[in-house]
Parts: sequence; structure tokens; C-alpha cells
Amino acid sequence: MKKLFPTQEIGSLAKPAWRVKAYRGEPLSQEEISEAIEWGQRLGIEKIENLVKILAKSKKTNEDKKAILQWSALYAIRFFENAGLDIVFDGEQWRSEMYEHVIRNVEGFKFLGYVKSFDYRYFNKAACISKPKYVKPFYVDEFIFTKENTQKIVKVPFTGPYTLVDWTFNEYYERKAASQTGNFKRRKASARRDFLFDLVKEVVRPEIKRLIEAGATWIQIDEPAATTNPSDGEMQLFVEAFNETVKGFSCTFSLHNCYSNYEILAKYASQLRNCSQLALEFANRDNTQIGTEDNVRVGYRELKKFEEYGYRGNYGLGVIDVHTDFIEPPELTRDRILYALKIVKDPERIYINPDCGLRTRKWEVSFAKLKNMVLGAELARKALQ
Amino acid sequence: MIGCYVTGILPRPKELIEITRAYDRKKVSKETLEKAFHDATQKVIEAQIQAELSYITDGMLKWQDLLRPLAENLEGLAIGSLARWFNNNTFYRKPIILNAIHRTKNIVAETTYLQLLPKNIPWKAIIPAPYTFAKLSENKFYKNEREVMFAYAETIREEIKKLAEAGFKYIQLSDPALVYNPFKEKIQDILVDIRDALEVALKNTEIRSCLQTFFGDFSEILPEALDFPVNDLGIDLYETEMEKLKEYAFDGKGVALGLVDARSSLVEDEKELLKVVDELTDAIYPSKTHDIFICPNCDLEFLPWEKAKEKIGVISSVTKLLKSMENIP
Repeated sequence: MKKLFPTQEIGSLAKPAWRVKAYRGEPLSQEEISEAIEWGQRLGIEKIENLVKILAKSKKTNEDKKAILQWSALYAIRFFENAGLDIVFDGEQWRSEMYEHVIRNVEGFKFLGYVKSFDYRYFNKAACISKPKYVKPFYVDEFIFTKENTQKIVKVPFTGPYTLVDWTFNEYYERKAASQTGNFKRRKASARRDFLFDLVKEVVRPEIKRLIEAGATWIQIDEPAATTNPSDGEMQLFVEAFNETVKGFSCTFSLHNCYSNYEILAKYASQLRNCSQLALEFANRDNTQIGTEDNVRVGYRELKKFEEYGYRGNYGLGVIDVHTDFIEPPELTRDRILYALKIVKDPERIYINPDCGLRTRKWEVSFAKLKNMVLGAELARKALQ
Repeated sequence: MIGCYVTGILPRPKELIEITRAYDRKKVSKETLEKAFHDATQKVIEAQIQAELSYITDGMLKWQDLLRPLAENLEGLAIGSLARWFNNNTFYRKPIILNAIHRTKNIVAETTYLQLLPKNIPWKAIIPAPYTFAKLSENKFYKNEREVMFAYAETIREEIKKLAEAGFKYIQLSDPALVYNPFKEKIQDILVDIRDALEVALKNTEIRSCLQTFFGDFSEILPEALDFPVNDLGIDLYETEMEKLKEYAFDGKGVALGLVDARSSLVEDEKELLKVVDELTDAIYPSKTHDIFICPNCDLEFLPWEKAKEKIGVISSVTKLLKSMENIP
């Protein structure tokens, strides 16, 4: 019988200080090197002395830097494996960040500088200045490395085209559209559409093709911006872009979306083709009491909307809040799963994961959270027996 | 009259961004942060002076979001969690209304770098409009959103009066929520309340006032908006159906035309903008007497400072071209 409630990660894991500093070519403290040794021993990683040798070097070659990425990815893979997950990746250790990583590896973009996200937080925003051009694979190497280093199921997180477009200034297409119409509103809309579908065709699909050729069987399209523009026209554009992205490929696809308007997403989810799973965040909307009653599991109510609107795919159920250090007890995870089951009915449709990537948590915290998540899934399985 | 100004929070220049990030990581002191804000404010004021804008703001660099200084300083409010700022990849903190709203100090005047503003150019202040404030807050005290709107309007009347006393000559009430309408909800029914709330807020105000709308289609609140008790109406031309706009006469009202797109890094072609203004004003001012301000469609903070500065240059150039067309010195 198929294992119920398989556990998975969503994407990112914090980068250890030794990974960040060594990759930048900065000197490491003894404490940082010790951290690499301690975690390596804890995760059962072999030949740590080779890593330590590289870390201790005062000057690092490009080869050393590549090795550091691989070591860091290996640590992350073992981290997830040791926590007991069924489906893993490399914690996005090769990527600078989900947006920048793609944009820096594609032609046609220029970073303009930092713009405000909120308070004293900013993000480096690029402009599309010529037609996007695929020049080299940007996820394939990390996928192959992960595949070679685990026996577990591998799911590749892939920053979605709608989000890339939404987070980028659209100079090239707006300039082009300016010659076609004097209507500013229509001009922006048509330029956005052209940018999106060119990006899908010229960049996203070629990379997916190469990933599949390299053996990828499951790609998770990450679209945090999916509901940023909740109007009907924009949501249809998002759906159309997803469908165009995955069209005709023989591979499992899923969608991850977080900190969004689920009332809106639910309305359109059933129109996503070839989308086997929706990985969503709920834990941060929930409280931490034990129980499976409606008035306790307030964070999971929106699951009902997806069902009401006719979505029949699987769920990646967010049961871990990635923005707090609170370690969810297994019983809490269990009850979140059992409550979701009351709504979804079919246990085979529920996968278990954190709300989002764990990049903002310390490894110690992430590890404890994930271990408990795995235990919680086990408790939920037992409860069904 | 033809003039130009900015309509909201300006982007923090690079050096200030670096200091704020360092401050966030506890790497620099509060004094260093304060000095960086002071220097950057000087810089963005200078850029506005150089561009010969008709009214000057201090750039509002300290404002974490449009609601924050009020949410932090009005009594009865607490600061809530992050929420999306309309359809942008930018977030604000939701004000939570726990008790009756009232003010105990001059909020905006005290937040503004008054000493850095030039003496010979009129100053402009910007605060959230009653409807936007009510719509974006979490209300745990008043009976409904309408009550929040009027309570806030009442509170800011005194604030606006104090701003005028401090030397401001122009007050902009920013009202994105009024036109941002992704679900095409019926808004006409509440426009009378909006007008009444504006009346409460601006009662006895002697300085020039503007209701600046953005992120949505201004034509959706016409013709009712023509009765709003403000001197000028601000319109986001990148979200508004211009053809529909042209069906109405704005005689007797000024317009602030959001002609430069603050959410795009593409720098506009001045000649094209000039043509758009020309056609638009011809249509909306049958009497041929008009008051026009050329401005960005929303806060320029969506751009890096250098781009924003270029865009300030564009509004300035278009204004000069317009004046020369009409032989205004």
C-alpha cells in the first residue's frame, strides 16, 4: 500500500555561515569551521576533513567555490534525509536567492538596484531590457548533484514565470508596446503578457526540458506572486502561463504558493492543468492548540474553498510555521493533518510540508521542526489505522 | 495654472538603504542612521529644487509606509502584521484600531524635516485619506468602516490645521483604496460618504488640497468625484481609461495628472506625454481655463532613487514645455 502523508520540504534552507563566507572568499572563524564539523558528524557526512581543508584555505579558487556549493548541498540533502523526509532537494544551497539566481543566469536583464519591500527590507530589482534569452542551464547541475546523492524522491523547486515577471521592470516590452497604442493602460497589459509568454517560451520551457532530459521527474513551480494582482484578468493570465509552462512535458508538476489570497487562488486552482499538487501555507494562520475541531483549526479553513471550487488534485499541507522558532509538537501536526483529512476526505491527496522554505530559521530550529513534522505524520497514519 | 510635484514617498538613495540595512542588523548606531536620513533627505529635497517643482516635500524617506506615522502616533491604534500593499510586491503594517482614535501631538509636522525645506518654495504635505485609512486598518473598536472613516477624518482635521500653521501650503490626501477595485465592486453608493468625510477632514482648511488616487481607474468614481471638497483631483493615468475621463468636464477643479509611471523603470518620452496632456486638457476643460499639475502616478518609492530622479526630471520638463506652449513664464 502507498505510504500515506508523505513528507517533503518546500525549497530553501538557511545557508550555513561557512557556505556564505567561504563562497565569498572571506576568512572563517574557528567557530564557523567547528559548526561545519559538528553538523557534518551529526548528519553522518563522510570525509569532512576535505571540506575543512577547503574552508581553512586563505585563498579560494573557483574550483574550491564550486566544491563549497556541493558540500553545502550535500549537507542540506543529508539534513532533510536525517529529519526523515520522503521527498527532498538540496535546500537551494546553490542559489543566491529564488529571483536573482534565475535573472543572473538569463540574458536580457539588468539589475537596477534595491527597492523597498517593507521597513528596512529591500530587494534587488531587475529590468528586462531586451528579449529574454536562454544561455545556459541554471538548475540542471544542482538537480544532477542532488539526484546522485540521494535515494529519496527528488522534487526540483523552480521559480515560476509569473513571479519573475511580476518582480521585474518591463522596459523592453513597454517600449515596444509604446509604438502600438497610445492607451497607457492597455499598453502595460499587453507588454506584460508578451513578456510573460516570451519568458515561458524562451527561458522556462527550455530549462524544464533540460531538467527532464537529466532525469527530473517532479518539478515544483514556485509562484509566490500568483495572487498579487487578484483581478479576473490577471488570475487568468497566471493560469494560462502555468498551463503553457507545463504543456506537453512528461513530468509531474506541482505549484507552491504562499502568503497569498487563497480565496482567489481556490477559484482558479481547478483550471491548472497537469498540476498534481498545490503546496500551501496554513500553519502560520493557525493557532497552536491541539484539536481537530473547526474552531481550533482556524488556519486550515480555506482548504474548504479549494474543495468547494472543485480542485481535486493533491495538497502539500503546510503544517510548520517557518517564521517562528516555536517547535510544533508532533500532536499538533497530527491534528492539523487529521483536520485537513476531514475536509479533503481522501488521505492519499495529502502530502505534508512546512509552510514555505526554511531559509529564515537556524538549522537547529529547522531540524527540530522537521523531525516533529515527520513524527506528526506518523501519528496521523496511526490514527487512521 | 500649470505646476508639478511628487505625490508620495520617494525612494531611499543607495547610501541610505545600506545604512538602514546595517542598522537592521545592529551594525550601526541610531545616530548613524539619523545622520543618513538627514543627508538623504537633503539630497532628495535638492533634487526637487533643481527640477524646479512647484511644491516641495521632504521625500518622506522615514515613512515605512503611508499609514505608519499615523498608526504609530495616533492614540487608540496598534501596529499589526504585514499585509500586501495593493497589487505590489511591497508590504505595509496594518494599523489595528483598539480604542477611539485621537491625536495628542503634531504627527506629520514632527516627522518632517522642516528645517531642510527651502524657504522660498511652497511645501506640500501628504497623509492618507479617510477612506484608505479605514479600508486598510483592522477595526476592533468602531461599529463599522464608515465610523472609522469619520473618526479618522475628524482627527486629521486638527492635524491638517497644524500643518498649515507649520507653513505647508498644500495638503495631499492619498486615496488608493478608493479606486483600486480588482473585483469590480460597486463603489458609487459610498461616494457620498467619502465626500462627507473629506468635508470633515478639510473643514476650514485654507491651504490648497488634493485627493490623490492611484492604482485604479479614476473614471469609475465620476462624476461624483467632481463634487469632492478638494481643489485638485489626482488621477493615475496608467490605470485610468482616458477615453472615459474625457467624457467629463473638470471646469472649476484642478487635476494632478499621474503622467509618469512610478511602477515602471522605462523613462517616458516627453513629447508623447505632452501630447497626452494636451488632448486630455482640451477634452476635460471645455472652458479652456485649467489648473494642471504634472506628477508621477503614485509614490516613486517603487523605483531605485536614480530612476526616480530621472522621472522627476521628466515631470519637470513636461511642465516647462506645457508652460511654453501656453506662453506662461
